[in-house]
Amino acid sequence: MASRTGPERLLIAPAKAASARALLALALAALLLSGCGGGSSEEDPAAAAGDSTSAPAAAQAGSAAGSREAGGAAPGAAAPAKGQAGSTPSGSAAGTAQGAAAANGARVAVPRGPREQAPGAKEIEEATVADISLQSPAIVASAGHLGRLDPTYTCDGKDSWPTLRWAGVPAGTAELALFVMNLQPVEEKIFFDWALAGIDPGLSEIQAGALPKGAIVGTNGFGELGYSLCPQGAGETYMFALYALPTALSPHRGFDPLQLRKRVLDVSGNAGLLPAVYERG
Amino acid sequence: MRTRKTAIGAALAALAVLCAMFATTASAAPAWKFESKSLEGKEVVLGGAIESSMTIPGLTTKCENFLYKLTIENVSGTGKGSLTEMPLFNCTTNSKYCTVEKIGAENLPWSSKLTTVSTTPYIIIEGVKVGILYEGEACVLGETFVTVTGSAGGSIDNAKETATFNASTLSASGTELKALSQKIEWNGLFPTEAFQWHREQALSVS
Repeated sequence: MASRTGPERLLIAPAKAASARALLALALAALLLSGCGGGSSEEDPAAAAGDSTSAPAAAQAGSAAGSREAGGAAPGAAAPAKGQAGSTPSGSAAGTAQGAAAANGARVAVPRGPREQAPGAKEIEEATVADISLQSPAIVASAGHLGRLDPTYTCDGKDSWPTLRWAGVPAGTAELALFVMNLQPVEEKIFFDWALAGIDPGLSEIQAGALPKGAIVGTNGFGELGYSLCPQGAGETYMFALYALPTALSPHRGFDPLQLRKRVLDVSGNAGLLPAVYERG
Repeated sequence: MRTRKTAIGAALAALAVLCAMFATTASAAPAWKFESKSLEGKEVVLGGAIESSMTIPGLTTKCENFLYKLTIENVSGTGKGSLTEMPLFNCTTNSKYCTVEKIGAENLPWSSKLTTVSTTPYIIIEGVKVGILYEGEACVLGETFVTVTGSAGGSIDNAKETATFNASTLSASGTELKALSQKIEWNGLFPTEAFQWHREQALSVS
């Protein structure tokens, strides 16, 4: 067979184009009818049942009281005849929980004890709201884990404070106070690794190892004037806490941080909290 | 002629792209189904966590019971939802020095939608906001109000009729919950079971 040259191919193109149009129309119709072949049709239960999730199997599992109980039944949660309760339940989730547990089997655990209450507006107003963003380049968090403090800023390193940056200090703040505390109290009291008051509210960071002008240093838990972060054992979790104070508390140098923090919590409405863990080795 | 052939080729290519898009959309936007049939209208899903805990950085906060009320519907073939209630019961911390004075969901309802990650159906809860007020004289979070915010994606197991939320599902769905400027851990296993018109019917997502 003689091979066609480019122009020859073009010569028979009109006939090919006509059949191509017909083919295209057919292909379009076929594809549209088949829903482009993508996904399962919403209205096709058979197709849905053919998914990896078998609906009949799910129904079987769902109706098996034994499997529901195995799924985490609340002990003693009775499961009377299914569908016995009214068909149009109403009311709150809490209010209907017990009914749901009874009607739907043990999958809905019956709550024990009182329902927790969300903090009211007055309580939030009286509390210190952790809404100031506090960050440190020396504290790096990985997914799902607490930020880890660079050893440089512990007694295994320079034992000096890291750079801290913050944002969101409310307008009208008279001064800032900063504490570093062990999450785990010592002798039933909060242990302070660093306490600083009288920080200029206009600042948005403290540089590593550099004390801001005008800042007043308190006595830490080691009885020293300054910063020391030195876990007793293999490690410790710490909380860096910056408080915005609407009025200046003006403590004296070497102040007791426990006393000052009580006063701070009485007046401060906003805080920035940055947890960090330090583990040796 | 070359132009016409090119046009036909382009049309076919465009069709293929469109089909691919539809196929992707179909798998990326699953719907709520009862006994394999798409839900029509609305339904209420009510359940309690089989197990759940939330780890605020450094402080694990657990609630013994964690209920939810979710109104579900399919909008244009895609499963949506509205989490209208989420009462919590018996919440405690893992520190003897810190107590949960108050805790509750805020800014309800939270919207939700279904999606597919790889081949697994997911429910994404958006606009999550939980306020916690801690107490305790020796608690570093004492008298402090902490807010958990963000969105959370949980994988749906159609066979078990459960939704699982944990670090893996949040990561896989590109969602995160934050408190104190850090990601928090939330582990929860929730049954997904209809409570209203489709009670006792198998609820699936596909």
